[in-house]
Amino acid sequence: MQSANMLLRKIVRSSVLPFTAQHGMKKDLFPLSRTLSLSLCLKQDKSCEPSEKLDLDEWKKVMKSGLQEEVSEKVSEPKELSSLAAARQTLEMWRLAGRAVPEKISEAQLKTFMECPSKSAKKKYLKYLHLKELYKKNDKRKMDEKRERRLEAQDEASKTDETKKSSFVCLWTSTMDKAYNWRAAQSMIFGQPLVFDMSYEKEMSVREVTNTVRQLVMSESCNRRSVDPFHIHFCNFKDDSLYQREFIKHYREAWDKLLITVTDQCYTEIFPKDKLIYLTADSPKVMKTFDHDKIYIVGSMVDKSIKTGVSLARAKRLGLETAALPLEKYLLWSTGAKNLTLDQMMHILLTLKDTADWKKALEFVPKRKYCGFVNKPVKDLKKTLDLINTLKLGKAREEVEKKFAKNYPKK
Amino acid sequence: VLPPEKPLQAEEWNKLREDFQLPEIFEEVMLNSMIRCNSPVDVAKSLLTHLAKRNGDVAYNVLVKYLTLCVQQGQVSEIRDVYDIMKVRFKILESGAYNLLVKGLSNSDQWRMALTLLEEIKKIMIPSRTCYESCIKAASRHQEMKLAFELYNEMMAKGVVPTLDVLQSFFSFSRGMNDAELQKELFGILLYLRENQIYPHKTFMRSIKLWFESIPGENWRGRLTKIKDSGQCPVCNHQLEDSNLTEEEYSNLSERIIRDVIHGTDTFRKTSPKEFEAFQTFVESRLPFDIVIDGLNVSHIKSRKMQCENLFDAVNCLAKENVRLLVLGRKHMLMNSSNWKREIMKEMQNKADFFFAENISEDDAFLLYATLRSGKHCKFVTRDFLRDHKACLSDSVTRHLFRKWQRGHQIAKNKWFSSVFSQQPAFRYDCVVQTTGDTWHVPYKDVFEEKYSYQIPRKWLCIQQK
Repeated sequence: MQSANMLLRKIVRSSVLPFTAQHGMKKDLFPLSRTLSLSLCLKQDKSCEPSEKLDLDEWKKVMKSGLQEEVSEKVSEPKELSSLAAARQTLEMWRLAGRAVPEKISEAQLKTFMECPSKSAKKKYLKYLHLKELYKKNDKRKMDEKRERRLEAQDEASKTDETKKSSFVCLWTSTMDKAYNWRAAQSMIFGQPLVFDMSYEKEMSVREVTNTVRQLVMSESCNRRSVDPFHIHFCNFKDDSLYQREFIKHYREAWDKLLITVTDQCYTEIFPKDKLIYLTADSPKVMKTFDHDKIYIVGSMVDKSIKTGVSLARAKRLGLETAALPLEKYLLWSTGAKNLTLDQMMHILLTLKDTADWKKALEFVPKRKYCGFVNKPVKDLKKTLDLINTLKLGKAREEVEKKFAKNYPKK
Repeated sequence: VLPPEKPLQAEEWNKLREDFQLPEIFEEVMLNSMIRCNSPVDVAKSLLTHLAKRNGDVAYNVLVKYLTLCVQQGQVSEIRDVYDIMKVRFKILESGAYNLLVKGLSNSDQWRMALTLLEEIKKIMIPSRTCYESCIKAASRHQEMKLAFELYNEMMAKGVVPTLDVLQSFFSFSRGMNDAELQKELFGILLYLRENQIYPHKTFMRSIKLWFESIPGENWRGRLTKIKDSGQCPVCNHQLEDSNLTEEEYSNLSERIIRDVIHGTDTFRKTSPKEFEAFQTFVESRLPFDIVIDGLNVSHIKSRKMQCENLFDAVNCLAKENVRLLVLGRKHMLMNSSNWKREIMKEMQNKADFFFAENISEDDAFLLYATLRSGKHCKFVTRDFLRDHKACLSDSVTRHLFRKWQRGHQIAKNKWFSSVFSQQPAFRYDCVVQTTGDTWHVPYKDVFEEKYSYQIPRKWLCIQQK
């Protein structure tokens, strides 16, 4: 009996199992083996541990046996790997190990990955690619869902089949574009200039340049949509620079038709020096009002590693006036650097130009960076805080009094 | 989730899995908690068996987790089995698995296999420092010091920084050997500590001491001590190395300060060429100074006092017979204001030379320049640790030089009298591992963790040959 049982076990383990595991037949087979072993236990010894009937090394056999064919295939492959292939395989292993690694990686990306100077740089780059891939996937999923919904809606619409009457032909986007372009063209003749200083390419990494260009594209679009746009100048713009390549990636053919001035000249060559004001967060001077006769310069730089004083140094070198936004004056700053993104700057400047209302303009500072608006100058800030504290304490006292009153009601 | 105490049947695992909130990651979470609780390997095995039966496969990350558990418990045969499986399954492994395998095998009697594994890793990538650490430790544990040093030199050549543990293991396992070659290598490690200004911790120091004392026939004797302020070792009466830089180091440092700290990528960032030139001519015309004071920093010593009074106290305290003072400040100090009274400023200007930089310039850079330019005897006063300026220096050798110079030349505020300055800077002697041939002096830390970069240990090991 025992030997027969053993034999059966062996058969089950060694040959049938991989097959069954793959084809989902285990349900039929295993109860049998278990009852057999159970009965064995009962016969032999009642204090038998439940673990005994489990073959703990079974998984090893599964892992090894399921692989026989694959192994023979692998032998024929050449042993030496090119460095690219090796890197690709390492990535694959990292992905299996559950690290943040993209599923697909292009040849160029792989090369960038291999050129990363350190382990942490490699890790960061992979994480960036991984997240990018995730976002892309999510976007695609959402698009698909949207399309489905639209198709459904169309189906329903076709069932009801009603034509709406309206005095306008539905050509919203192109009409709007025309209107915007007309305004932008007007601004190119009559508008107040706003200069973006494009001379920071050397100061930035490739990714920072990419981000800069994205922010500039956003700034340009919000300028175009505004009621009274600026006349945008990209100064110190070198042909065939990284900036230009990135811009062309974004705008494609539209790059040459943009209603802005792009020049390799410096702003000091185009405009009188005394009219220029360089906007930089490091400036000791704080901007009080928006001057419609001045020409403001914004440095087209994303500095993730907070390079203090780079743009201030540039203004100093050229002997230009500088100014910083009065962030401290109007906002109770909490966290984050005082440098804002280019599109935020654009929003703020446009609002200032139209309304001269600092509060309205500084709404565009990200909410996470400040706690609230201050009505009084910074000197009074402490007083305000004190007031808040006393108010809080006062409230606490009131509550205590209320409790007291509850516990000891007046007669 | 708490892992079960005994191996479970497939149904039982299934039930547990269904009860778990996120069944997809159940295995990972379970194995993680097994690692945390150090569960018996059998329990993990039963989970793997269950997985293998269900999916016909065990995922790589699960295998790695299981391997972690095996390494944690030193289950050598299991580690080997897992390695065999992985090798068949995957062409190469990633660093996490390699680290675990090397670590697990090197702690067993099959440690030589860890070495072959290390060779395998080298074909694909630079092995991590933990890999090297395990192998070196294994080799030195088995008294194969030559092999251990080969690995050590190899990792140094690849730019992998060794842990203190590795360095310590060399000393602990070389005890009692009389081998000139080995001795040379160990002295090499001590010099490595010296060059990189690394301070061993207490147990490491003890290994060094015991190794010295164990060299047959050389009569080394080590004792723990504290060095006197004068720089003399109380045990052997030996004078420690001076904290002063050599001429070459000195000129090197001042050159680098000008190049990296003051000019950097753009002179306009900290000052302007015009201003720096003006400052240079100013300094050259009045050289040499004895003490350079960071006016703005010193003026904030006591917050209750007026800022110019603080500075006035400091100048009075430091001004003695024939001491030439230079105070650096900014132009706004000259404007008569509530904090800066014109009369007091006038009075101070009689006692010391003043240079006022632009309000948006960095005066610290000027402080460094003026002090270095005045020569070795010149000291400076500021409470600033000057970390941001140290960071501007591009290589670690110069940064070490900077710290050494700073230790020897920065005048600190006296702890007990807040406005009295102790004229002596913190250290006259250099705080690094040092030797004269028949003595060794090794500074050490009491605790393992890193100190602040400006702090240095006060305790020393003095080793002397009788």
